Amino acid sequence: MKPQPWWSPLGDACFGLVPRIPYARPDRSECQGIAVEAHGLSAAARTDGPTAFADAAFNIPCGCRTALIGPNGSGKSTLLRVLAGLLPATSGTVQILGAKPQLGRARVAYLAQRPRLTDPFPLTLRRLVQMGTYAHHGWFEECHHGDEAVDRALHLLQLTDLAERAVHTLSGGQLQRALLARATVQGAELLLLDEPYAALDQASRDIVEGFLFTPNANLTIVMATHDPADSQRFDRILELRHGALRTVHACTGHPHRHA
Amino acid sequence: MLEFFLEPLREPFFHRALLAVVLSALTCACLGAYVVLRRMAFLSTALTHSILPGVVGAILLGLSPYVGALAAALLTAGGIAWLSARRGTSEDSAIGVMLSVMFAAGIALMSAAHAWRDFTSLLFGSVVSVGTADLLIIGLTSAGILFTLRVLHKELELASFDEEYAELIGARPAWLRAVLLILVALGAVACVRLVGALLTTALFVIPSATGVLLGRTLPQVMGWGIACALFGGISGLYLSYHFAGVPSGAGIVLCCALPYLVARLSAPRH
Repeated sequence: MKPQPWWSPLGDACFGLVPRIPYARPDRSECQGIAVEAHGLSAAARTDGPTAFADAAFNIPCGCRTALIGPNGSGKSTLLRVLAGLLPATSGTVQILGAKPQLGRARVAYLAQRPRLTDPFPLTLRRLVQMGTYAHHGWFEECHHGDEAVDRALHLLQLTDLAERAVHTLSGGQLQRALLARATVQGAELLLLDEPYAALDQASRDIVEGFLFTPNANLTIVMATHDPADSQRFDRILELRHGALRTVHACTGHPHRHA
Repeated sequence: MLEFFLEPLREPFFHRALLAVVLSALTCACLGAYVVLRRMAFLSTALTHSILPGVVGAILLGLSPYVGALAAALLTAGGIAWLSARRGTSEDSAIGVMLSVMFAAGIALMSAAHAWRDFTSLLFGSVVSVGTADLLIIGLTSAGILFTLRVLHKELELASFDEEYAELIGARPAWLRAVLLILVALGAVACVRLVGALLTTALFVIPSATGVLLGRTLPQVMGWGIACALFGGISGLYLSYHFAGVPSGAGIVLCCALPYLVARLSAPRH
């Protein structure tokens, strides 16, 4: 336990005066066999822009690692943003872990291709990873717990030595691993990754791949990549091309064939 | 030498000004950390300048200047949000429009009242003008702002650093931005007596810019900001007391710039 400054009790007393309110309603839906299910799904990258893809139908079983491939500009990012709840679909239905896509679900984590972070910002890497616990805290609450989960995630992505470094001194690959560690701490069951290998050197890439392909029946991964070579180890491959989505390779039998 | 420091302390008005400057330093430095990190310096300038027509109008109407100041600041914040919601006007230009329009309205009102001299303290601040009622308002406002910053600390930190993640977990960054704008308006209103409408923005920006150079975490940035604002505020008051021609706002801002300069020259390059 770190020593607290003398004024700390004064500040903490403030929290006694406000009720705790969760960021979102509790999510009681369950992953019953299918993690993501879409019918006739269409979406546009911007609300008044052209349609990125139309009439997409697919499903992703729980625990399945799915690669979403396609050339640049084919709508991979748009599809991931729809699944994350950041972008509304223009038509069609989609079910994420048994509910409509929406914001405020701790069970879904999304990692953008180029995260828009304020830089510079006075933040240590540990604090960044700790932000993953916020989804479980809600308004008006200081995070006092979750340290073990943070340590585990830092260890998993080999960031323990960098934990006290300032975020703006990290390399692109280290930052990407830190954001992945945050998603781990969040305890997400569905991980939506947009080109996570883009900023990584070989060493960082090995660490991230090691993390993604560790057998874990509770984790469903959808990863967008423009490089078909990246999709080799995945259980299922979806391809977006010319606005249409097709399933290239569906996982059969046990989803964890790379255990 | 000792007399230089002790002499002003015998004046009751100086006690009030000291207390006001300490409260303002605490509030502005904590709030200013977000203003600086989120690059809202221009926005805070607009909010603080736009107070002028509100205060002048309220005095002419015989209302409390604080009511007018708050109304004007909220009007400006709302106007900026409304103007920049349309395509074709960036937030930057919207701020520029509101800032100049409100300030021009203030100048027009002052001219219409034929009372330029009476409003000098409003523009540049004055040590002698802080009364007991002002102190009460500054105290209540500061307490409210610091309380809000404390209970929303983790949300504001997250939304300032990674807005998209805040949105993803449901922490509503747009609301938090609005809360921050209201807090900046309240803070500006509280400081207007002491520092003046033209210079209040400096109290948000300079100490926190110093803090950003020196601190590694957000609480550290706020801590250094408070230290810088306290130093600048108290020495500025002394400057203003001993050199009667210097308005307190000018003295405080000049004395705040000193630690910033030292930090800027001595801080290691990141």
